[in-house]
Amino acid sequence: MGVYLLRRVLVAIPTLWLISVLVFAVIQLQPGGFLENLLEDPRVSRETIENIRRQYLLDQPVWVQYLHWLGGIVRGDFGYSFLNSRPVSELIWERMGWTVFLAFLTILVTWVIAIPLGIYTALNRYGPSSTALNFVGYFGLATPDFLVALLLIYWVLSTGGTNVGGLFSPQYIDAPWSWAKFQDMLAHLWIPLIVIGLDGTATIMRQMRANLLDVLSQDYIRTARAKGLAERVVLWKHAVRNAINPLISLAGLQLPTLISSTIIASIVLSLPTIGPFLYDSLLNKDQYVVMALLMLSALLLMVGNLLADVLLAWVDPRIRYE
Amino acid sequence: MNRRRFLRQTALGLGAGVLAPGLWARGLAQGGAANVPANLFQEIGRRGGTLTLPLGSTPQSWNYFAVIDNFAYTVLNNVFDRLMQLDQVSFELVGVLAESWSISRDARTTTVKLRSGIKWSDGTPFTADDVLFTFTEVASNTNLRANQAATLTVAGVPLRFEKVDDLTFRVISSKPYGAVLQALTFSPILPRHKLAQFKPREDPGGFSRVWATNTDPKEIVGTGPFILQSYVPDQKVTLVRNPNSWRRDPQGNQLPYFDKLEYLIIRDPNVQIAQFRAGNLDQVPITGAQFPELKRLEVGGAKIRVLSGSTIYTSPPHWGFNFDVPNPELRELFRNLTFRKAMQFAVNRKRIIEDVYNGLAVLPGHGVAPGTFWYYDTRSYLGEFSLERAAGLLDSLGLRRGSDGQRRLPSGRVLEFAFTYASDSAPFAAIAAILQNDLRQIGVKLNLQGIQQGTLLATATGGNFESILMAYGDQPDPQLRKDIWQPGGQLNYWHRSVWPDRGSSEPKFDQMFPWEKNIWEIFRQAEQLGDQNERKRLYDRWQLLSAQNLPVIMIAKPTAVAAGHARLGNFFARDNRIIFTNFSMFEKA
Repeated sequence: MGVYLLRRVLVAIPTLWLISVLVFAVIQLQPGGFLENLLEDPRVSRETIENIRRQYLLDQPVWVQYLHWLGGIVRGDFGYSFLNSRPVSELIWERMGWTVFLAFLTILVTWVIAIPLGIYTALNRYGPSSTALNFVGYFGLATPDFLVALLLIYWVLSTGGTNVGGLFSPQYIDAPWSWAKFQDMLAHLWIPLIVIGLDGTATIMRQMRANLLDVLSQDYIRTARAKGLAERVVLWKHAVRNAINPLISLAGLQLPTLISSTIIASIVLSLPTIGPFLYDSLLNKDQYVVMALLMLSALLLMVGNLLADVLLAWVDPRIRYE
Repeated sequence: MNRRRFLRQTALGLGAGVLAPGLWARGLAQGGAANVPANLFQEIGRRGGTLTLPLGSTPQSWNYFAVIDNFAYTVLNNVFDRLMQLDQVSFELVGVLAESWSISRDARTTTVKLRSGIKWSDGTPFTADDVLFTFTEVASNTNLRANQAATLTVAGVPLRFEKVDDLTFRVISSKPYGAVLQALTFSPILPRHKLAQFKPREDPGGFSRVWATNTDPKEIVGTGPFILQSYVPDQKVTLVRNPNSWRRDPQGNQLPYFDKLEYLIIRDPNVQIAQFRAGNLDQVPITGAQFPELKRLEVGGAKIRVLSGSTIYTSPPHWGFNFDVPNPELRELFRNLTFRKAMQFAVNRKRIIEDVYNGLAVLPGHGVAPGTFWYYDTRSYLGEFSLERAAGLLDSLGLRRGSDGQRRLPSGRVLEFAFTYASDSAPFAAIAAILQNDLRQIGVKLNLQGIQQGTLLATATGGNFESILMAYGDQPDPQLRKDIWQPGGQLNYWHRSVWPDRGSSEPKFDQMFPWEKNIWEIFRQAEQLGDQNERKRLYDRWQLLSAQNLPVIMIAKPTAVAAGHARLGNFFARDNRIIFTNFSMFEKA
C-alpha cells in the first residue's frame, strides 16, 4: 500500500504541472484582460494602464509570466490578486472555513439521506411512497439549483419569514458565538443545504437504487436467501455492501465541487464561500487568483480520487493495489 | 501603544494646544449652525439605531485610489469627505470640507478656504496639507489604478496645488480651466499623517497594497460621518459614528443620527429585494422595471416607500454603429448619415419609455442630462417614430426589398448586421427585442448578440461589434465626459480609426468627418475657458452637432428610483428630486 501511495503522489506532480500549463494558456486565450477592463472607468488613462502593466509584469511574454508564477509556487507564494491588491493565499484562506464547512455538511447530509432512500426505493419498487420519492428525485435533478433557491426564498417571504439568504441574520454576522447565534444559523442553514444538496441527493439516491437492484438480482443473493439467511443479513451484509462500491468512487469526485459547484447557489443565497470569489476573478481576469483556485480544484480532484481508491480497498477486501 | 506612537501623539496634542484658542472661538461661533444643506432635512432626526444597506459585492480594498471598485467606494464615501459636492436639489456645488472658494479674474487660480475645526477620526486636525497630499501625491499619480490625473490636467499640463496657510490652498493652471471645481469634487481627501509614510510617488505598488481589506479598521481614519468598525469577508461591513464627525443638523445636533451603518453583501439583485421586503434591509437599489411591483406593495400597505425623481447620473442607453467595421459595405452604410437617420426613425422611444422603463424615463439629451445647466434642448431633432419614413430613407439609399421582403445591399447580399447588447440587463434585452421587431417590418435584419454586461465596454472599445447598445453615465460637466464624446477619446468607441497612434496624443484628423473635427475643437476650446456662459455656448453647439449628425442614437434617459423602509426619516422626494444621505436619515420612533 505504501509503495502504491508513493507512486500515486509521484504521478500527481507532473499531472498538476501539465494542468497548470494548460490553465495558464487558457487564461491567456481569453479576449481582453484585467487591465483592459480597467478602461471602463473614465478616469483611467492609457498611461496608467501601461504603468500598471509594468508593475504586474504583464508586459512580459507569457512564458516569462508563467515561470515567474511557477517560481512563486515553489516558494509557496501564490501571487497577488490584481483586484484586491492582496496575496492570493490570504484571500482564499479567508473564505476557506465556510466553504469547507458548507461542503462537508452538504455531502454528509446528502449521503445520510440519499443512501437509505435509495435502499428504500429499491426494495419497494412500485410503492406509492417510492414513486413520490422518485418524483422528488427527478425534480431535484431537473431543476437548476439557483431556481430552487429563488423558489425557496419566495416561499419563505410569502409565509412571512425573514431568513432569506446568507448564513445569519445581520446582527449575528459579526457577533461572537452564542446559543442564539447557533440557532439563528440553523434557521438559515436549511435553505443552502436543500439548494446545494438536492441535486446530489437525487443523484446518489438514483445510483444507490440502481446498484442495489442490480445486486439483488445476482446469483449469490439468491444463494444467500436459499441457505436460509435472515433477510436483514442478506440485505445489509451481502447486497448493500456490494452496491455501495461504485458510490465510493463517485465520492472521490465530489471534493473539487467544494470550489466550483456552488458558484451560482452561493451568489443567489449570499453565501460566503469561494464560489463567488472564483466567479469575480474569472470575470475580471484576475489571473493569479484563477490559477490558484483552478489548481486547488485539480489538487482536490486528485486527492479525492486517491482517498476514494484507498477507501475502496478498505471497504472491499477483493481490491488490492499491490 | 508603543513608545514612539505615544510620543508622536503627545507632540500632536501639544500642537493642538497651541492652536486651541483660535479653534475654540470658531467652534463656538459655529455651534448651533447647520453646516450641511438644509434641504436634506424634512424634520430634525432622532439619534440612534442601525441603518442596514445592501452591497452588491465584496469590496476589494479600503485604499480608495488603489482599486476601481464601486462597492469599495460606496463604503468609503461614508468615511472620507470631498472638498465640495453637488447639491441634491439644485445640482449646484456646495462646500463640504471647503467652506468657500474664489476664482481669479484670469480663471487660472482658484483659492479654496477649508472649514475650520475639522478633525480626523483619530483626533488629528484636518489641514490643507491633507488636501495637497491627496491631490499631488495620490489623485494625480498615474501609477495608481484609480488616479484622476486626467481631470487634474488642462491642455496637457497638470494643475499645481499650493498651500497658503493651514486652512487655505490654491489651485493654479497654466490655461484657464472651466471645470476646475468639478475636478476637485472627484477625490475624497485622505489623511496625510497616516498615508504619507507609504510614499505613493516613490513606491506606487507598495502604496496600493496598504489599507487592504484585512487592515485594522482603526488605521483607516476619516473625516466623514462614519468610520469602519469591522469587516466579515463576503458577509458584512460595519461602520459606526465617527466620534469627531463635524456635521451638524439645522438645530446644531451632531450628525449622523444613526449609531451604526451596516452593509450586507448580497450579490443577487432579486435577493436584495427579497431581503428588503423581509425587513432586513432599509434601502435597496431598484430599476424602473421593479418600480411598479414595489409601488403596488407600498399602496397595498407594506411598510416601504418607493420614490422617483430626476437625476444627472443615470446612464442613458444609446445605439452605436461601428464606423470601422471590417465589412466594407456595412462600413459605408454605417458612416452614412441618412442610414443612421433611418435607424433613428425606427427607434420607438415612446414605447421603450412606457414598456421598458414603465414610464420612468424621459427623452434623452445628447451627452448631457436633460434639465441641467449644460443641457441644450435637442428634442426636436429626435424625430417621431415612423417606420414609413425609415423605410423611405432606406429606399432612397437604394436598399431595395427583395422578393423575401429583406432589403438588399448593393452587392445583392441581405441587409443584416449584428446588434450586441447586455443580455443580463432587463431593460437592454427588452430594447433589443423591440428594435429587432420594428426593423424586421421594414426589411432590416438585426441579429441579436447577447453578452455579459461586464464585458460590454471591452467589446465596444475593442471594436468587436457591428452595432451595439451601450450606456455611459452622465456627469455634471461635459468636460468630465470628453473621453466619450470628443472624437479620438478612448471611450469614443464607434470611430476607432481616428484614435491617436500609440505614443501620440493627436487623433487622426484626416480620418474625421467635418462635424467630428468641429466637436473635437469645441471640447479643446471649452476646456480652456473660465467663463461658464461662453463654455455653455460651445457645449450647446456640440449637442446640436450630435443631434444632427448622430454619432450614436440616444434612446432614453432613465429616471432615478429608490426604495426605502417606511421607518426611515429624511428619505423623501421634493421638486422631482430624491433626497437622502446616510448622515441625515434617521429611524422614526
